[in-house]
Amino acid sequence: MSKHFITMTVNGRERSLHVDSTDSLLDVLRNRLDIKSVKDGCGTGDCGLCAVILNGRLVNSCIVLAAQCRGAQVTTLEGLLEDPQMKSLQGRFLKYNAAQCGFCTPAMLVAAKDILSRTVRPTEDDIKAGISGVLCRCTGYYPIIQAIQEASEGRSR
Amino acid sequence: MTSDVSQFLKGVKEQGEQGKLVYVGESLARIDGLEKVLGKPVYTGDMLARGTVHAKLFHSSLPHGKLIEVDLSAAKAMPRVLDVLTWKDIPGINESSAVIPDRPFFASSVVRSTADILGAVVAETEGAAREAAEAVKVTYAPLPAVFDPIEAMKPDAVRVHEGGNVAKEMRIRKGDVEKGFANSSVVVEKTFRTQFQDATPMETEVGMAVPAFDGSITVIGSMQSPHHTRAALMKMLNLPADRVRVVQAVTGGAFGPKSDETPYDVCGTAALAALRLKRPVYCAMDREESMVMHTKRHPYVITHRTGASADGRLQADEVELYLDAGAYASLGVFVIGRGIFHCTGAYEVPNVKADSYLVYTNNTYAGSFRGFGGPQAVFAIESQMEDLARKLSLDPLEFRLKNMLVAGKRNATNHLIDGSCGLPQCVEKVVTSSDYWNKRKVFADQVGRLKKGMGMALLMHGNSLGPEGNDYGAVLLEVGRDGVVTVGTGLTEFGTGAVTGLIQVAAATLGVPLSWFRLARPDTSRHRESGPTVASRTVVVGGNAALVAAERIRKRLVLVAADVLMVPEGRISIRDGVAFDETDSTRSIGWAALAAEAHRRGVKMSEDGFFMAPPTPWDTETGQGSPYLQYTWGALIVEIELDEETGVYQVTDVHAAYDVGKAINPTGVIGQIYGGTVQGMGYAMMEELVHRDGKVVNHSLADYYIPTSMDIPKSFHSFIVEVPGPLGPYGAKIVAEPPIVLPAPAIRNAILNAAGVAIDDLPITSEKVLMAIKKARAAKYPS
Repeated sequence: MSKHFITMTVNGRERSLHVDSTDSLLDVLRNRLDIKSVKDGCGTGDCGLCAVILNGRLVNSCIVLAAQCRGAQVTTLEGLLEDPQMKSLQGRFLKYNAAQCGFCTPAMLVAAKDILSRTVRPTEDDIKAGISGVLCRCTGYYPIIQAIQEASEGRSR
Repeated sequence: MTSDVSQFLKGVKEQGEQGKLVYVGESLARIDGLEKVLGKPVYTGDMLARGTVHAKLFHSSLPHGKLIEVDLSAAKAMPRVLDVLTWKDIPGINESSAVIPDRPFFASSVVRSTADILGAVVAETEGAAREAAEAVKVTYAPLPAVFDPIEAMKPDAVRVHEGGNVAKEMRIRKGDVEKGFANSSVVVEKTFRTQFQDATPMETEVGMAVPAFDGSITVIGSMQSPHHTRAALMKMLNLPADRVRVVQAVTGGAFGPKSDETPYDVCGTAALAALRLKRPVYCAMDREESMVMHTKRHPYVITHRTGASADGRLQADEVELYLDAGAYASLGVFVIGRGIFHCTGAYEVPNVKADSYLVYTNNTYAGSFRGFGGPQAVFAIESQMEDLARKLSLDPLEFRLKNMLVAGKRNATNHLIDGSCGLPQCVEKVVTSSDYWNKRKVFADQVGRLKKGMGMALLMHGNSLGPEGNDYGAVLLEVGRDGVVTVGTGLTEFGTGAVTGLIQVAAATLGVPLSWFRLARPDTSRHRESGPTVASRTVVVGGNAALVAAERIRKRLVLVAADVLMVPEGRISIRDGVAFDETDSTRSIGWAALAAEAHRRGVKMSEDGFFMAPPTPWDTETGQGSPYLQYTWGALIVEIELDEETGVYQVTDVHAAYDVGKAINPTGVIGQIYGGTVQGMGYAMMEELVHRDGKVVNHSLADYYIPTSMDIPKSFHSFIVEVPGPLGPYGAKIVAEPPIVLPAPAIRNAILNAAGVAIDDLPITSEKVLMAIKKARAAKYPS
C-alpha cells in the first residue's frame, strides 16, 4: 500500500495529509479531519449518507478515493453553516419535521444545497431527483421535499 | 445558532408568550431538532476516543451444522490483532436472547443459521479486525436444514432446537365456526404469504465500551432499550447492575430490531473486549452484517376460510397463521400475539377459530419490526374482505361498512368496542378525499392497456403492550434553580419524535414553554427501568408518567407562588412560564424566579413519575378478553396506475386517516403517517430479504431496495381524527406503528380493481402482476 501526499481544500480550509491508496474520502473526512456530519451508512455508494460536494458536484464520499482528491474543493455541511441559503433550509427542515432520526439530515441538506445552487426555482420533480441518491427511512421524504421547496421559494414562515 | 432557526424558535416563543400555545396539540419543533439540522448530534460512531480499538464479529457460513473446529491461529497472527474472542471467553452465561433463552451470545457447539455469531476479532484498526475475522477458519459438520415453517411443523422435520420446532402456539376460540359456516352463503378460502422485511435503520448497530479502573464498564450505543441491554450484558459478563452502565447515544433510526438482540451483540462484544484489554472498544456492524444478523419482519403463511351471509354479514372465520421465526424466537413470542389478535382486523366476526404457530427454521431470524405482526395479519384479512365483496357482488366499501367495528361491536378477542372508536370518521375522510364512489364508477369502464384502480384497507391497532407484559413507564423531571427542566427517561428517542411529545405533556402540565426543557441522555445509572421503547408507547404510557411527575412539581410550585404573591393557592395558575393570581394577573412571578425561590426554600424540585397501565386480562385457551387497553383506528385508500402489458404500476394518490385520540404534536403525527406509509409501500411493492438455503442473498442496499424519493406517490392526503381514548394523556392513542400496516392490502386491492388479478404473496412486484395477468388471460382464452 503506497502513501500519497495530497492537499485539498475542505470547507474553505487547505488541508495537507498523507493518505493510503485505499483510504476513501469518507475515511479521511471522518477519521482524519474530524468532520462528523458525513455519515457512513453502507460504504458501497448506495445510501448517500456520505454525500459531499466535490468540485461542485454531489458525490458519495465513500466511493471516492482520497488520493484522487489532490487539489480538490470539498464542502460538507460544516462548511455551509453560515451560508444564508443553508440557514433557510435548516429552518424549514425544523419547521416540517424533516429531521427525524437525523442520520441522513446532513447529506439531505448538502443535496438540497446542491439542488438550489443548480436550479433557482426547482420543481417538485427536480427536488425528488436531486435528493434521490440519499436514502431516508423515517420521513417518507415528503417533509424534506416540502422544506426544500419552501426554502427555494424564499417564503417566510 | 443560525438566524433562520432562531427566528423560528423565537416565533414559537412569542406565540407562547401571547398565550396561544398550551403545548399540547401544537406542532412544536422537536426538542432534538435544532442539533439535527445543524448536523451536530453525536451518534456512537462520532465519539470514539483516541486509542479506541475495533471489534469485528465473525459469523456462521452454514445454516445448520455442528462446529468441529474454530481455528483462530491465522487470525491471531495477523498484524495489529489484539485479541480474539469466542464462547470460551465469556465469563457469565453464554446467552443473547430477548425472551426465550434459546440463542447463545457466541455459538459453541452448533450453528442454527447464517446469522449465528461465532466470535469477534479485536484489532488496532477496523480494517485489520475485518481482515483477521475473515482469516478465522471454521470446520463444520453440516446438518440437514429446514427453511419453511410448514415443513418444519411436520413430525419428521429436522429439529432446529432440541425441544422441537414450535416455539409458541396461540389460539382464538370465539363462538362456533361450524354454526357460522352453516349460516354462510359464500365462503372464500385462501392462503397468503409474506416475506422477510429488513428494517434498514440508516445507522447500523454500533456500540462502544469504556472500561473503568475498578472493573466496571460504561457502554454507549445505538439502541431502543438501554435497560434491557444492561440486563443482557450483566448476564453475559457476570457483573452486578452497578458495574454495568448503559447509555443510549443519539440513535439513527431503529424501527424494532434495535429493541432485540443485536444491540446486546455489539455492546456485549465491545464490553467483553474492553474489560479484557482495558481499552475502549468499538464494535460496529456494517450494512451487510446488520441485514444478516439483526431481526427482521416475520414471514407469515396465513390461511383464511371466511364465510358471509347473502346479505353481506361476516359469519365465520377460520384462520391458521404460521410464523417463520428463523433460528431463534426473539420477540416472535409476542409478535405471534399481536398477529393473531388482529387476524380478523377491523371487523366484527361472530365466530372465529384461529390457531397460530411460531416455528423455528434455519433461516436467519425474525423479531420486532414496526407493526409487530399487524401488517401480515391485516394484509390477509383485508384481502379476504375484498374477495368476499366481489363474490357477493357488493362494493368493497359497502361490504366493509356493514361489518366494520364501531361502538357496541366486538372484535376477535370479544373485546367490546367503546365510544372511543373513530373508525367511521376515518373512513368518511378517505372516501370523501378520494371521491371514492365517483371514481369507482369511472374505473369500472376502462379500456386499453393503462388502467387505474383504487383499493382500501381499514385498521384496528391495539394500544399498549397487552400480552407482552407489564406496560409501565418512568420519567424523571428535575427543575434546576435556573428553572431549566431536565427530562430523563429510559424511554428513548430514535427518530420518532415521541420524546418531544412526552415533554409537551410535561410542559402543558407545568405551564412552561418547551424552551425551558432539556433532554438528558437515557442512562441506566441515572434513570430507572422504564420498560422497552417499543409498541409506539412513549407518548401514551411515558406521557402519563411525565404528567404524574409534572403535576407533583406543579403543586409544590403553586404553594411557593401563593406564598410569595400572598394569595390563596387556589387562585394561582402557571401559564407560559408565569405563575399568577387568576383574579389579578399583575400579581405574578416568572418561572426562573419561582424556581430560584423554591430552591432557596429547599422545596423538592425533582420527581420520578411512574405510570403502570391497568392489566389486560385474556384467556390463553380461548384468546378471549381485552388484551389491549384502547385502539388506534385508520383507513387508507390508494389509487394506482397499471400497465397491463408490463405489469408495472405506480401508486399515484394516497388518502390516509388515523384516529390518534389526541395529536399531541400534529406535525409529528403527520410525519409518522408519511414515513410509515412509505415504509409500508416498500413492504408492499419491493422489499424482500431473500434467503436461499438459509443464506441472505441480497444483503446490500444495491440489491435490497427501499423506497427513494423517486418512489413516493405524487399526492398524499393525510387526515388526523381525534376521538379520545381512555389510556393516553389528553386521550392520545399510539401512532408510530399503525401507518405501516395498510399500504400492502390497499395496494393489493387496487391492483385487483385495476387489472382483475389478486396477488396474495408479498411483495407485489411488477413481475408477479404481469404473470398473474398472463395466467388470467390464458384461462380466459384457452389455446
